[in-house]
Amino acid sequence: MKILATVKRVFDTDGKPKLTADAKLDVSSIDCKLNPFDEYGVEEAVRLQEKGIATEVVICCVGPEEAQKEMRTALAMGGDRGLLVKVDNTESLDTLSIAKILAAVVKKEKPDLVILGKLSTDSENNQVGQMLAELTGYPQATFAFKLTPDAAGGWAIVGREVDGGTSDVKVKLPAVITADLRLNEPRYASLPGIMKAKKKPLEITTPEALGVSVKPAIVGIGYELPPARKAGIKVASVAELVDKLKNEAKVIS
Amino acid sequence: MSLCFDLGEEQLMVRDGVRKLLARFAPRRRELRQAMYRREFPTELWAAVADAGFMGAMIPEAYGGTNMGIMSMVFLSEEMAAFGVSHPLFALTSMDALCIVRGASEEMKRAWLPEIAAGRRKLAFAVTEADAGTNTFRISTMAKRDGDSFLLTGEKQWITAADCADYILVVARTTSRHDCDALGLPRAHGLTLFLVDPRAEGVTLTPMATGSIEGARQFTVTFDNARVPAENIIGEVDQGALPLFLALNPERILIAATIVGVTEYCLEIACDYARERKVFRNAPIGSYQAIQHPLAQVKIQQEATRLMTWRAATSFDRGDDLAQTGVWSNMAKYMASDLGVFAVDRTIQTLGGNGFDQEIGVIQLWEGMRLFKTAPISNEMILNFLAEQTLGLPRSY
Ligand SMILES: Cc1cc2nc3c(=O)[nH]c(=O)nc-3n(C[C@H](O)[C@H](O)[C@H](O)COP(=O)(O)OP(=O)(O)OC[C@H]3O[C@@H](n4cnc5c(N)ncnc54)[C@H](O)[C@@H]3O)c2cc1C
Ligand SMILES: Cc1cc2nc3c(=O)[nH]c(=O)nc-3n(C[C@H](O)[C@H](O)[C@H](O)COP(=O)(O)OP(=O)(O)OC[C@H]3O[C@@H](n4cnc5c(N)ncnc54)[C@H](O)[C@@H]3O)c2cc1C
Repeated sequence: MKILATVKRVFDTDGKPKLTADAKLDVSSIDCKLNPFDEYGVEEAVRLQEKGIATEVVICCVGPEEAQKEMRTALAMGGDRGLLVKVDNTESLDTLSIAKILAAVVKKEKPDLVILGKLSTDSENNQVGQMLAELTGYPQATFAFKLTPDAAGGWAIVGREVDGGTSDVKVKLPAVITADLRLNEPRYASLPGIMKAKKKPLEITTPEALGVSVKPAIVGIGYELPPARKAGIKVASVAELVDKLKNEAKVIS
Repeated sequence: MSLCFDLGEEQLMVRDGVRKLLARFAPRRRELRQAMYRREFPTELWAAVADAGFMGAMIPEAYGGTNMGIMSMVFLSEEMAAFGVSHPLFALTSMDALCIVRGASEEMKRAWLPEIAAGRRKLAFAVTEADAGTNTFRISTMAKRDGDSFLLTGEKQWITAADCADYILVVARTTSRHDCDALGLPRAHGLTLFLVDPRAEGVTLTPMATGSIEGARQFTVTFDNARVPAENIIGEVDQGALPLFLALNPERILIAATIVGVTEYCLEIACDYARERKVFRNAPIGSYQAIQHPLAQVKIQQEATRLMTWRAATSFDRGDDLAQTGVWSNMAKYMASDLGVFAVDRTIQTLGGNGFDQEIGVIQLWEGMRLFKTAPISNEMILNFLAEQTLGLPRSY
């Protein structure tokens, strides 16, 4: 079984973006890192490979040249090789563009499972996995907290986190899975892992080479900061809290 | 020589890895820190660090390591200390492993290095004797050949964590000083490095009533005809001085990194407290310059020490000559030893009476940070070395 695990280079959410005079985001002082949700996806793929269920794990990223750093971080966790679809102007990448590019990658790589993070922590859209399923025609199981593939049978049982609790679904392979936080505990890169990652092949291609041309449907025009939060108040008792929530904030009845 | 310390991709991955490793222990930070005061060995942390490959950071790939260099250990030392849990055996084992890497026979490397890289052998280090501290050449512990083994007799003092170590690297004489003088041999001749099992017959550990380093105790280690197989000798008989000296710079570098981390730990506590604590009116004490200026000075010294430490580590990893790496390493350790005392002092001062509360965990650092002006090498000896090496001034001793 072949797995394609996707990773994205995102801004560290601990960083503080600045606004420029013309309402653009200045992120030059912010570090980038591997999207945390993708770590769960990569971890799951690597575990399936360690158990002998997956035969090949490809780490794929759509992003700028610099994203090779985040790809090496993922490759230090495991996996066989990397595939970067280089798009330097990341502003031009909306969710649908990324999904279209990934669909072209899927067409080329023909994985049995595509594992994505359920969202990326920069834009928090939670869309790419679902869009990719639509574009490829694969079944999808989103928000996975449990993944049990039956490669021989051509199925996977996926435990999903849903509003009311959890639900199990059985999807036919090939399928698209998006990873949620309880799927596993991602490993941190070990020194031998980092050494090995250095030697793993990392191919760089472009949307054009994959035969995709993308034009974003969503463009950031301007940014503004949310209004500053006012100081809160302390209440003396639970009764007072409930009273205020009911009668002042009117958020409960 | 580049003066820029932008960290490389791999170095960032290593540092990130250490932070994630420690984040796993975050819920138990208090408990782990308390075990440090009780001088207990952090078994689980050691296992996690070894699993992540750090004990092989300075060991070549052919022997089960990664050869990624001392910078990896610098990150580890700094981050662990900043977390509040560091232990001398991480640095001592790395330093002893380096003696083996640089000095041992192929056979010994194959037998020992993979075990060390996997974290299965913790190593302590024993050179100091009652009558031979700063001057290593004065040691009198003797090893006499007896068939295919050696018999050790003598006594070492101050040996840190001798009880938790699987082996102790013992520096002993195989040619006495008297014989060296009589034969006209240099004073560095006649030292031999033995890896000794502290549980072997003829070896006695007696705990010493020392203050100082968290997590470990010091011991007097007595050898009474203790038998050590000849295969446990690192390198050649009588020729131990060189591999020994090659391992001293790394120890200094890792101590400096640890102190930079302890400073981070102190600043975290001091600043959190200073932002909240109000004594007069409604102003937090952190707004008083009497409190904030010294903390800002600590920050300046910390950054300067970190840079010097990274410079020394880079010099070591790049394979600069011993004296050059020695200059940076000694400068880093010297600056760090002042920093450590200053950082703990200012943190205690900021905390007022709470600075003395053992629950808060700062007062315990006082002895440990003070130690580094004295050991493993005293600051006077560092100044002697630097005056001679960098200023061309004559030796006084
Ligand atoms: C807590 C602790 C842990 C230790 N752990 C270990 C260990 O694990 N293994 C080990 O082998 N040793 C260990 N030591 C020993 C330590 O390395 C020695 O204490 C140190 O090297 C100093 O030696 P000394 O105590 O004999 O001091 P001395 O050599 O007697 O020096 C006394 C003073 O005289 C000064 N002095 C000496 N010569 C000169 C000179 N030429 N010029 C100027 N000043 C000079 C020194 O700087 C020092 O201030 C430890 C010590 C302590 C306190
Ligand atoms: C071992 C020990 C024994 C003690 N024994 C006794 C005892 O027997 N009886 C007793 O009553 N108390 C005792 N104390 C308490 C001691 O007197 C207080 O700890 C001390 O007065 C400081 O008060 P604090 O701890 O509240 O510090 P804080 O008042 O909170 O001060 C914290 C820091 O802020 C600084 N600071 C505060 N205000 C200003 C300002 N305006 N400008 C600049 N800096 C400022 C202080 O100098 C200090 O560095 C003891 C304390 C200890 C540690």
